[in-house]
Amino acid sequence: MMRRTANIILLLMAVLFCYGLQISKPHYGDLIGPIPARGKLGDTVVGRAFEVHAEKVEFARKLKVDQFGQQKVLTTGGVWAVVSVDFAARSESTVVSTASWRGPAGLTYDQTERLSFMNGLLPVAIDPGLPRKARLIFEVRPDETSNATLLVSEKLVAALDSQAEIALGPVAVGADGLPAGTVDTLDMLQSP
Amino acid sequence: MTAEALDQEHKSGERKWRRRSLWSLVLLIPLALAVESYDSVRTLLRNNDLFPRRVAWGQSAHFAGSDWKLTNLRGAFGMSNLPPDSVPVLADFQVKIGNSDLQKLWLGCKVMLIDKDGRRWSPTSIVSLKTPDNIGNCVSAIFSGARTGDTLNLRETFLVPKEATKSIWPAIGVASERPHFLLFQLEKD
Repeated sequence: MMRRTANIILLLMAVLFCYGLQISKPHYGDLIGPIPARGKLGDTVVGRAFEVHAEKVEFARKLKVDQFGQQKVLTTGGVWAVVSVDFAARSESTVVSTASWRGPAGLTYDQTERLSFMNGLLPVAIDPGLPRKARLIFEVRPDETSNATLLVSEKLVAALDSQAEIALGPVAVGADGLPAGTVDTLDMLQSP
Repeated sequence: MTAEALDQEHKSGERKWRRRSLWSLVLLIPLALAVESYDSVRTLLRNNDLFPRRVAWGQSAHFAGSDWKLTNLRGAFGMSNLPPDSVPVLADFQVKIGNSDLQKLWLGCKVMLIDKDGRRWSPTSIVSLKTPDNIGNCVSAIFSGARTGDTLNLRETFLVPKEATKSIWPAIGVASERPHFLLFQLEKD
C-alpha cells in the first residue's frame, strides 16, 4: 500500500514537473528570432555586423520631398517620425535594410514606402571604416510616439542575427494631441 | 544449479551489460552530435571564405577551373562627392579560362579587399567609374559565354577608408572552392 502511494506521488510529481517545463519553455519563434542589441537614443548600439547610433527624432505634419525631380508635400493622417541615424559596418561590408517603429501599445510600423529612391533611406550599404548617415522615416499614430522602440536589422527576417532595439524615450504631448515640438513641414531635401 | 546461484549469475550479467551500455555512451554521444551537426558544419564551410591560398605578386593561380592573376591594384585619388577620408580602389584581374562551365564553377563569385585586421570590403555601388568595354566583372563574366582558352579582364571597384589603403589585399572566393579562397599578395609584400 505504502509503495503504491509513493508511486502515485512520484507520478504526480513527474506530471507537474513536465507541465512546468512545458509552460516555461521559450517559444520556437523566440529561440530562432532576432538577437536584441539594446540601447537608447544617443547610444551606439553594437550588433554582430553593424553599429547604429540614433541621433535625434523629429516629428512633422508634412514632409517636403523631391521625387523624380518634382517637389512634393506628403501629408499624413497620423504624424511623420524621422529618426536621424549613423550606421557603421564592423568587420565586413554589409547592407542595413529594415527598420521599424514599435509603439508603446506594441503596434509596429515599418519604414514608409511612400518615399522611394531618396538618398539616405534604407537599404543603406555600409563599409568598414566608412560610417554613413541615414534617415528612417515612419508614419505613425500620434499616441504611438512616446516610449517607442526603434528596431533596425540587416535583413527582413533577422532570425538568429542581431537586431538593434533603441529605446526612444518619452515624448510630451502637445495640446493638439501631436508630440510636442512637431513641426508643420520637414524639408527632406537637405541631406541627412 | 540452485536458485541462488542462478540469481547471482543473472545479477553479474546485468551489471556487465549496464557497464557496457554506459561505456558505449562515451562513443554514442559524440557520434550523435557529429551526425546532427554535419549539415550545419557543411553549410558553414560552403558559405564562408575561411582559408586563404596566397598567390605571390605576378603569379597566377588555378582556381575554380581557371588561372587567375592580379594585374593591378590602385587608388583613384582626387574624386569629389565621396564620403570624407575615403578612396575608391580598383582591382584588375586577368583570368585565363580553363573549364568553361563558369555558371557552375564561378557561382557565388565574391571579390573583396581584406586588410591586416581582417576587415573585408565588398565592391561598392557608390562610385561608378567608366570602364572600357572589354573589362567586365566577376558576375558579368559568368554569363559572358567565355570559352576555354579565352582571357577575361575583370575589374571591381571598392570604397575604402584612406587609413586602410596601406595594407589591403584583394581576394576572390567562389562557391565551388569554399571554404578556400585566393588572397593576392602585392608587389611590396
